[in-house]
Amino acid sequence: MTSLKLSEAEQATLDAVLAGDRRQAARLISRIEASDPTVAPLISALGERGRGTAVVGITGPPGAGKSTLLNTLIGQLRMSSLRVAVLAIDPSSPFTGGAILGDRVRMARHGADQGVFIRSMASRANLGGMAAAAGDALTVLAAMDFDWIFIETVGVGQNEVEIVNHADTVVVVVTPHSGDAVQAVKAGVLEIGDIYLVNKADTGGVERTLAALREALHRGRGQHQWQQPILGVQATTADGLEAVVAALASHRDYLGDHPEELFERRRRQTHARLKALTFAELQQRLDKPGAVRDLLEHWAGEIVEKRSDPRTAAVAILKCLDITDA
Amino acid sequence: MKKTDANVRTLLEDATVGLSRTATWSGLETDPFYGPEQGELFDYEKDLGNPGQYPFTRGAYPQMYRSRMWTLRNIVGYGAPEDTREGIENALRMGTAGINVVVDTLSQEAIDPDHPALWADAGQEGCSLPTVSDLEILLKGIDVTETDVAWHSTMMIYPLVVAMAKRQGKDLSRLQGSHMPDHLQLRLGGWGEAIVPAELGHRTTVECIEYCIEHSPKWALGCPQAYDLRERGASPISEIALGMAIINLTVGDLIAKGIPVDKIAPSLAWVSSSDIDFFEEIAKFRALRRVWARTMKERFGAEDPRSMRLRIACHTSGRSLPYQQPLNNLCRATVQTLAAILGGVQSVETCTYDEPISIPTEEARELATRTQQILAHEVGAARTADPLGGSYYVESLTNRIEAEALALLAKIEEIGLIRAIEEGTIEGWMDEYNYRFQQELDHQQRIVVGVNKFAPDVIEPPKRFSYDTARMQAHLARFKARKQARDSRLLEERINSLYRAARAGQNTHPAMIDALMVDATIGEVWGTVRVANGLPYDPFNAITSPFTYRG
Amino acid sequence: MSRAKIRCMLGMLGTDVHSKGIRTLAQLLRDEGVEVIYLGEHNTAESMINAILSEDPDVLGLSFSTSTYIHYTRDLLEKMRVAGVDDVPVMLGGLIHPDDEDVLREIGVKGIFGPGSITSEIVEFLVSVTGKPLSSQA
Repeated sequence: MTSLKLSEAEQATLDAVLAGDRRQAARLISRIEASDPTVAPLISALGERGRGTAVVGITGPPGAGKSTLLNTLIGQLRMSSLRVAVLAIDPSSPFTGGAILGDRVRMARHGADQGVFIRSMASRANLGGMAAAAGDALTVLAAMDFDWIFIETVGVGQNEVEIVNHADTVVVVVTPHSGDAVQAVKAGVLEIGDIYLVNKADTGGVERTLAALREALHRGRGQHQWQQPILGVQATTADGLEAVVAALASHRDYLGDHPEELFERRRRQTHARLKALTFAELQQRLDKPGAVRDLLEHWAGEIVEKRSDPRTAAVAILKCLDITDA
Repeated sequence: MKKTDANVRTLLEDATVGLSRTATWSGLETDPFYGPEQGELFDYEKDLGNPGQYPFTRGAYPQMYRSRMWTLRNIVGYGAPEDTREGIENALRMGTAGINVVVDTLSQEAIDPDHPALWADAGQEGCSLPTVSDLEILLKGIDVTETDVAWHSTMMIYPLVVAMAKRQGKDLSRLQGSHMPDHLQLRLGGWGEAIVPAELGHRTTVECIEYCIEHSPKWALGCPQAYDLRERGASPISEIALGMAIINLTVGDLIAKGIPVDKIAPSLAWVSSSDIDFFEEIAKFRALRRVWARTMKERFGAEDPRSMRLRIACHTSGRSLPYQQPLNNLCRATVQTLAAILGGVQSVETCTYDEPISIPTEEARELATRTQQILAHEVGAARTADPLGGSYYVESLTNRIEAEALALLAKIEEIGLIRAIEEGTIEGWMDEYNYRFQQELDHQQRIVVGVNKFAPDVIEPPKRFSYDTARMQAHLARFKARKQARDSRLLEERINSLYRAARAGQNTHPAMIDALMVDATIGEVWGTVRVANGLPYDPFNAITSPFTYRG
Repeated sequence: MSRAKIRCMLGMLGTDVHSKGIRTLAQLLRDEGVEVIYLGEHNTAESMINAILSEDPDVLGLSFSTSTYIHYTRDLLEKMRVAGVDDVPVMLGGLIHPDDEDVLREIGVKGIFGPGSITSEIVEFLVSVTGKPLSSQA
């Protein structure tokens, strides 16, 4: 594995993070977000030496009450003094590059609780909507002394599928309103869940939704040994939360008992993330001033002057991509 | 100092009064003039009626101000109960007919003045009133069944007053006064889900009105509290839409409890704002009355004209008064007050010119009162009801505001009001409104004199209101001592009854009042209701309940 | 893709409910390419410091419309010192009286933006105090 020597300062950072120093961890995550190239050996070391806590992803259509659910879930876990970390991802403005990261407000109840670590992250320019830095940030958090780590996104389109690439346990939250469950089946979101929650279970239609989910999942069964629990909850009153915690613990144990499945899962995730990162890298090369962009402009000119066609040009550009101007 | 040519040119430019904007303050585009080409703007019988006649567009009463002058009110409230009491007596001496008391931010949020993180805010922005005993000090010698005291507050104030009246052996059916039971407005106005969860807040509003109608029918209820909705970021159109959404849900829930609409609506008064666009505000008041009347009649089947006739309590807009060159605000507040009068409101509070700075000084308060008196006695603003009725412009604006408000109301009700609040949709609209407003200011598409144009070279720092905090210290010490001296067994009993009532989904007001009567504090009472509803005792998560709850 | 975004934390302390100002500022800063970590209303010094420890903001902005800002600011900055996060520059906005500016700077406030401040002034301050340029989307 990595035998890169760390500087004294970096070694100190590594030790601090492993010992649970929140500020050092936060600073490291900032460096990851800033694409600081010197963090790579640190991240590797943390990945090797850290606790490796599993990550739970919370996903579902907008309005399902994910934030409220997470807020209540944290409360439930804290009653047993379990330490929790949350990575909350919000979309960046595609026009200005800025963002308003407002998920914390929905978890304000735990704002002063030193056993709860919430990090807000903007998706930045990532194609998939998920922050490119999320993976490495989760590695940092997973190396520390947290009992549970959650990743949460606002829940718009692509984000939902990408969360699978970062979570070991995926919780899908729907409500009985407006046929969310049916839509989720159609959108292909349903296959990705390990645990299904029907929130606002005290409103009408919950039985129908539970039944619809059971039917849909039954059809897809046979692919895993894990029987996805389908639970009704009421996030605002914390009804059903104990069962949720039990299901989470149960899935975590399952992954522990089936390391080959966990490995396969992580391999798939890494594949997908690597693909996304590669795309992002390419996109960047095509946009920023440099040899690759010059090529693009050159070929665009050739096409307009009818000296070439787009397909030829694209292949030619790809061939030149071993130009390293990073 | 010699004035150069450039200076003179700039001064001349400044002196020209130009038209910077053709849209109303809230953004409705207007025409250079309005005339009969608009087409038929109204059917007099159907759309206007005479003042005091359905649909009450022209006014709530036939004689309007000839029979009933608008109530001159001044808001008082700061420091300890004794401090505010002094303020009340000063206001009465100056010619105020109605007492209107505001409580401090802690009391507004149902938090006690000894809160470890927030004690510094006690007595700021209003009177600190954490227990019935404090209320008794404030109102010593004032009989609340004879004198109308209006409370500019929502949380816990009504149970406090009732508890005091009961402790004094007063007949509740003769209880006078008013408050603003609208919790959803608080939720949207910055109290947020932490302090006022939408669902619990709405339920508490409904329960308060239910209790009030049954036990103290003479008590007026200011609902919706649309003044703060406006200040938060609503236009006249969304004031009507959002206010009616709150009313529709609240009245609907009360009817579902078996209370007929004709017992509900007459107790309600709309708390409104009067902002700087003179014509838009007048049109808004008129459109509002018409929408209310038609809603009560057509949606809720009201038969009593008093249900359909909306009374409006107005406060001129604080938000519209800038910090810079505050004397300009005398002019602004005058125009806004005039708009309210011509709009036919039943009571108007004129903002003091120093409102943006801090608690009003005595001088500012006096000037606000004189403004109203000049408008009444010299300008003749009250002489004739709805003087702008029939104006092509005003009728056109009235129609337009009504139509857009109803469209927005339909949109809100399609989502569901509580859901739209919980999901942040309504707050999002308000944030966007404020954002666009600021952008227009930044780009000079909207001029506020003294702020982004015609700004003075020197900004005089505002005078600050100060008062001797000695009484406040004594009040806090007394509060702590009183907590120690209470009958703790009796208190625990009453608190637990409240807890059980809340858990059982009963109307919590009787139990809240019973607890307050034995000097439970507002923080203890509301904290208990919160715990019963699965919420943390303290919205700031700094303290936990001192009680053990059973059942 | 820009690398160095300014992360600005905005929040309010105490019972103050007038969040219109910081909500609007949050949107305006977003327009300038800033990442705003929005804490909203009703924070205590403890919850703000907890947030600083996990969010690693470049700047902390507090908004006040109540007159007790000296008390809350002093209390927060003292607790930040104890927690070892007083290297995060703090700026104040809202109804700040000019007579209080000296005291506030003494306490350790680095930027004061009273009523009438324009967005560009605040943005300039953010750039200068964080040492990060404004980034715009590629």
